[in-house]
Amino acid sequence: MKFDNALKKKLLKKLKSYMNAEAEQLQQEDDGLSKVLKKLKKKEKHLKALIAAERDKDEREMLEQELNVVHSQRKKGITLLSSLRKKGDK
Amino acid sequence: MKNTLRKIVLPTILLVLAYGFWISSDFKEIAAGVAIFLFGMLALEEGFKAFTGGILEKILKRTTNKLWKSVSFGILSTTIMQSSSLVSVITISFLGAGLIGLAQGVGIIFGANIGTTTGAWLVAGFGLKVKISAYAMPMLVFGVIMIFQKSRHIKGIGYILTGLGFLFLGIHHMKEGFETFKSAIDLAEYAVAGYPGLFLFTLIGIFATVVMQSSHATLVLIITALAAQQISYENALALAIGANVGTTITAILGALSSNELGKRLAGAHLIFNVTTGLIAIVFIHQLLVAVDLISAYVGIGETDYTLKLAVFHTLFNLIGVIVMIPFTNHLVRFLERVIKSEPDRYAHPKYLNEGSLEFGDTALEALRMETARVYAKATDVIAKGLSLDKEKILSDAKLKHVIREHHKAVEYDIDDVYEHEIKALCSAILDYTNQLSSSEPGIARKVSRIRLANQSILIALKDVKHLQKNMLNYIDSENADISYEYNRLRQRIAKVMRRLERIRLKDEGSTSILSLDALKLTLEKNMDLLHERMNELIRDGKVSAEMAISLMNDSNYTYSIIHNLIQINHNYLKSEEGSETEAEHMIALNREEIGTVLADDRVIAEKR
Repeated sequence: MKFDNALKKKLLKKLKSYMNAEAEQLQQEDDGLSKVLKKLKKKEKHLKALIAAERDKDEREMLEQELNVVHSQRKKGITLLSSLRKKGDK
Repeated sequence: MKNTLRKIVLPTILLVLAYGFWISSDFKEIAAGVAIFLFGMLALEEGFKAFTGGILEKILKRTTNKLWKSVSFGILSTTIMQSSSLVSVITISFLGAGLIGLAQGVGIIFGANIGTTTGAWLVAGFGLKVKISAYAMPMLVFGVIMIFQKSRHIKGIGYILTGLGFLFLGIHHMKEGFETFKSAIDLAEYAVAGYPGLFLFTLIGIFATVVMQSSHATLVLIITALAAQQISYENALALAIGANVGTTITAILGALSSNELGKRLAGAHLIFNVTTGLIAIVFIHQLLVAVDLISAYVGIGETDYTLKLAVFHTLFNLIGVIVMIPFTNHLVRFLERVIKSEPDRYAHPKYLNEGSLEFGDTALEALRMETARVYAKATDVIAKGLSLDKEKILSDAKLKHVIREHHKAVEYDIDDVYEHEIKALCSAILDYTNQLSSSEPGIARKVSRIRLANQSILIALKDVKHLQKNMLNYIDSENADISYEYNRLRQRIAKVMRRLERIRLKDEGSTSILSLDALKLTLEKNMDLLHERMNELIRDGKVSAEMAISLMNDSNYTYSIIHNLIQINHNYLKSEEGSETEAEHMIALNREEIGTVLADDRVIAEKR
């Protein structure tokens, strides 16, 4: 049985993408987390600016609370990202 | 404008009726008769509904699936019941309950017109008249006993019996009320010869039947007058034609409480009887010859005018049916065009359609859009349930001011709106998710989130309904403390609604799912604060024990409403596309993590 070149190339490409499927998914997750973390960092800065400008005590407390939440989310995101990268290195 | 009109029309009608009752006891009896009659119609429809999806549909389908069968059904049932009006009213309720179609209904009406002529034979031949009002009382007693039974079918029979009982009773009261009119109609005074007499007596026949609500009563009157030679034979025939037209009033009255199908049938009844009447008037001389021939053939004496009247009655109704049968479909189409369906009070899905079911992504988008629509309706209901205005809640105005502006409790029937606006849409969404069997796990997961979002909508609405009961009493209470607490509950829900709306409206570059975490934290924190304050209020005796219990329950409802509002948005946003959404989902804090942030928050506050 003989394979022509075009078919060989096609099969090899399929095999390669199959082997790399997991890596590709990891890369996608990495991209997603990085993007969200960047947005959260921006949000944190924005909230800090808002808190500094806010005079109403109740509103300020609420913003501070939100800042704490964003901070915790960032911490969780960074931990997730580093474990994801470790997994990728292995 | 329409609402203002509605507000004016109803009280005006009630006032006019009340004045009428005051000045005339006859009018009172007639009006009560109409009311009882209409109530009977409702009970009858309720009764027939108990048999839908089962035996009655099978019987009706078998006995009315062909035109000749539905005509025969009409003849037979009218002969047994001795009232074409009643058969037409029952047919209207069949139509209203969706048991038969309009074409079948028209067939039954045709048959009923032939069946009703047997009455003339009975009256003329045997002087008999089945007095239906005598059956009313036992029917009501048996019917009500049966209504109280558990079995659905016995209950259904109970409703039918009660319905018939009320119909008979209603007709009886109408007749009683019109007794004075009846004695005032002296037929001998109007004897007129030729065509003017024919038209005049037809009109009198119509009027007398409309007034007495029974063509039978008119026929008795005609036959007795004819026997006493008060009126001429020709005039008696004209009266019979009039009675045939006038009898449609009962069906028209019955159709008032029915849907457009019932109204179309009443229209068919009117058209049929008017056409038959016109045919009889135009061909009166030919008909008279035919009556003489038939009478001679069956052995009726030449001067036996009462039986000849019965022959005439049967003959012209028979001719009417024969003439109208070929036009049945035209008649149905005409009525469908003229009497259009009223706008449905029940909301219909806007985005869900069968075609998109095959394409997973399109179906998912349709589901999301429909859910967003239900959510918009639900938030409107929640706002109104809290005696607030959704637009103002979502505006930039300070919420404290909004609450202060709406300090008066406004009654709002959540159940009614739920029944007509929300329930139908939510069931359509759930049905659609059941039909959508996508093999792709990603889509299946998103569909399940949409389903959860809809469940949360229903729970939130149920909670608002419970919360509304005490809230209406306390937001404007003389006890300033309880009023303050209930207004705080309103403000809290309003605040969450406003923040959720802002999160939803943010552009794609934002982290919507994650923004919900801050709301979850606020919810938990506020609950703790509320419990502390509630203990204080009870300890200081500022609220009664009853108020404290209400507040405790209602703060739990408030918690549940806010929690479900967040959940709706959480699941809705999670059903969105994109890898970032997955990442947001991974980063979003769970309940424990929110608890930790809350604890840290408390430590910082204590240090201050």
